[in-house]
Amino acid sequence: MKITVWGNELPAWTSAAALAESGNHVQIVTGLDHSGNKNEIAFKVSNEPGLQQCLDQAIADNRLVSVTADEGQTASSHIICLNPDEYSTAKEIVQSLAKYQQNNLLIINQSNFGVGSTDKLQLLLDEQNNQVMAYLPDMLAEGSALKDFKHPETLIVGCSNDWAMLNIKALMRPFSQSLKQWMIMSPKEAEFTKFANTGMLALRLGYINELANLADQLDVDIEVIREGMISDPRIGPHYLHPGCGFGGLHFQQYIEGLSELMEEARNSKLLDTVLVENEKQKEQPFRKLWRHYQCDLKDRTVTIWGLSFKPGTASIDNAPSLKTIETLLAQGCKIMVHDPEASKNIAQYFGDNEQLEIVDCCYQALQNSDGLLLLTEWPEYWSPEYDEMLNRMRSPLIVDGRNIFDKEMLQSLGFTYYGVGR
Amino acid sequence: MSPKDTQAWTDLQSHAYYMSQSHISTLFQESPDRFSQFGFAQDDLLLDLSKQRITDETLSLLIKLAKERDLKGWTEDLFNGKHINDSEDRPALHTALRTPKGDKLEVDGVEIIEEVHQNLERMDAIVNKIHSGQWRGYTGHSINTVVNIGVGGSDLGPFMACKALSENQPAEARALKVHFVSSMDGSQLADLLSHLNPARTLFVISSKSFTTIDTLANANTAKEWLKASSNEASESVLVARHFIGVSASPDKALSWGIPESNQLAFWDWTGGRYSMWSTIGLPIALKLGAKGFREVLAGAHAMDCHFRDTPFEQNLPVLIAMIGIWNINFLNINAHAILPYDGRLSHIPAYLEQLEMESNGKSVTRDGKATDYSTCPILWGEVGTNAQHAFYQLLHQGTESVMCDFIVAARRYHDTDNAELQHQHQLNLANCLAQSRILALGDSVIEGAEDAPVYKRYKGNQPCTTILLDELTPYTFGQLIAMYEHKVFVQSVIWDINPFDQWGVELGKKVATTLLEALGPEAATSDFDSSTQGLLQHIAMRNQ
Repeated sequence: MKITVWGNELPAWTSAAALAESGNHVQIVTGLDHSGNKNEIAFKVSNEPGLQQCLDQAIADNRLVSVTADEGQTASSHIICLNPDEYSTAKEIVQSLAKYQQNNLLIINQSNFGVGSTDKLQLLLDEQNNQVMAYLPDMLAEGSALKDFKHPETLIVGCSNDWAMLNIKALMRPFSQSLKQWMIMSPKEAEFTKFANTGMLALRLGYINELANLADQLDVDIEVIREGMISDPRIGPHYLHPGCGFGGLHFQQYIEGLSELMEEARNSKLLDTVLVENEKQKEQPFRKLWRHYQCDLKDRTVTIWGLSFKPGTASIDNAPSLKTIETLLAQGCKIMVHDPEASKNIAQYFGDNEQLEIVDCCYQALQNSDGLLLLTEWPEYWSPEYDEMLNRMRSPLIVDGRNIFDKEMLQSLGFTYYGVGR
Repeated sequence: MSPKDTQAWTDLQSHAYYMSQSHISTLFQESPDRFSQFGFAQDDLLLDLSKQRITDETLSLLIKLAKERDLKGWTEDLFNGKHINDSEDRPALHTALRTPKGDKLEVDGVEIIEEVHQNLERMDAIVNKIHSGQWRGYTGHSINTVVNIGVGGSDLGPFMACKALSENQPAEARALKVHFVSSMDGSQLADLLSHLNPARTLFVISSKSFTTIDTLANANTAKEWLKASSNEASESVLVARHFIGVSASPDKALSWGIPESNQLAFWDWTGGRYSMWSTIGLPIALKLGAKGFREVLAGAHAMDCHFRDTPFEQNLPVLIAMIGIWNINFLNINAHAILPYDGRLSHIPAYLEQLEMESNGKSVTRDGKATDYSTCPILWGEVGTNAQHAFYQLLHQGTESVMCDFIVAARRYHDTDNAELQHQHQLNLANCLAQSRILALGDSVIEGAEDAPVYKRYKGNQPCTTILLDELTPYTFGQLIAMYEHKVFVQSVIWDINPFDQWGVELGKKVATTLLEALGPEAATSDFDSSTQGLLQHIAMRNQ
């Protein structure tokens, strides 16, 4: 099949890579620049495990080419993966495709423009002649995007046209072998479902963090409470790990979109509160350190382990490390940071700053440190060499922003330990 | 020499004898083009004196009086830092507070402009730290609420400015709430504390002497509130994270517990009611950002230059002051209404009440003699459109002569597309113009008024000044307030009084101390007058 993917972010490149790998001829249009210039890739492919290799292979095999907008029109199937604020670009694309390809035109919207936007774009098309918009929510998590695209458990499709549905099933056939179910609904319902799922996850994270903060005040261990909660089959274990806040670009954008919609349409602050509290939660490790040192951190040396917004990615979009570093800099600290993947991104983000030192060895980052803040639960941090840590640190203080350490053991080794809700 | 001994005073008295018979409406009939004669502009500010009971001759005699009183010499002394506050032996240098960086002024052997700017820069650093969310409270959360605790000059100016210019908040300041607390009885504070989050609240304690009992009583209540809400942080940590002191007495602030790093200074040559241009303006800078605060200072500085360098005939502060002298001393008008036609300026009457009445509400000349002429009138005011439903009845049909200042902005809401609000501004302007017209000209402004019953008649002849701002901005606001400051100074020169002291507020503080003791259990009350004794006994009985 000849497919054009419109977009320049993670979902666009992931779709392009996966579709090309399964034999399609994929063209990607990264911008609507009619001069024929092709844009640089807008996000860091290297942040995403496996994606770069997959793209290189597809390009080498000539199954993936980057083309101009005019060339992109020539396919009969299109996937639009734009940013939430690029609705007018999407409109422009759909309008020009409608003119170019007057029948049997399938356009799959994979962008987060809000509930009802796919239907609005359909109004620019002629369904009588099989010009159809469908909505296929992206189920990608940053750090495992390619895997998520290629091995979905469920596929939600927003499509009310039989001809289009046939084509979508054909397109997704390589990825639907182990699929548990197809969920077919109207585009508007599918958009709502995607929003609803994301919102639910955010609420669970917000709730467990709120409980953890309460547990801190009531001097109980949130881990015990959490285990009690997840033993209830109605609740289950997912998205119930307390920590120092969620980040990432994609997840945050969906929640912000939903939060705005809820506030506009329902005057509801429910998700806005989750977002506001999440921003505060990102500073939770800083606050524990702040209180430990009687609200004065001037000239302290502070170590951070983990800079990416979650393990398995080099992305620092909305990561707790950003706020934490900014705050520590403002308080006059010297900061030594380590991350297996995200160091370069942090160096780029903060530029040259003599208060901030990025080191390659996590133990080196503890030299003469007055405290370690663990912000991302990379596997290599779970069982560190405690003696080495004790030798290096000036004050053996650990603020565990992801609750990965054994509190009792650390205390018995002589560390002062603070977790989230414990 | 008494002002009454000048030739101009004598001439004005004879002129007044003739003018007091005239009616403003007649003056308009005689000289229909009064606006071009008596309208004066500087920058974005227009002063219309045509609805005053004056002629060309009045103005020229008033200017002659200013010259005979050596206003020019006094003005130079003011700007140059001479000790014109003689009873306290110090200069009054509020003009130095808004002098641009790089200028020089040596006072008593010390270069002060540089020091002024060092303090402003220290204030900027604090403002930036708060705006960037990096001023942290005892829990580590960022501060999102500031409560200014001060009274008089440490309250009225910043309070007025924050209200007036709240539409000019930059994005980084919008998340910050700024409150003002002044009353000694704690009622404002108690109300506020009931819904504030101690972890995110910062108190600014503003007191020139750092002994003001009103302010310290509120500050102590705030401190105890913080202590009660935090069982983990020590008092010194709480004070270091939640209190800033703004004072000319750093030692006193320190002994109250505010570390030097949390102190902002100003100088004893800054009078309390002239202090909002100094670090006392911290709440203004928090509201407007450092850049916005500099615009206020720039507007005031522009007025300073205008006042210092412009011939009296075109000099706004001189003209508005001398019109006041005319009304008070020659037309015997002793009431002055301040009528802002702009809700944002709702606090300007209270501000001017202090500025004018605390400065010039005096009856002793600089060489210690009793004045035998009137000085500062009684000032009061309210947002004009609200006052129309309150005390305008007296202005229109009462027995008192009242001079009125109408203050209004020509443009508002022009950069919005809100047609309703734009219409409200037109309504507001229409009312402002209508009221000054009727107050000055009476019901002669309509046809057939003389046929109405007497209780429906409007006699008019209340002298009115209109101050028209192009629009209300930090800059024009600075101009406006500096104009009033200089107006007060000019009048003090004419009346030969020191506008920069306030001995009349001292005795009350002392006597209150003795009464505080008398309110204690088993206190002796026999030293007091029978009224005070009776009241004390009644209070004691009610508290049993």
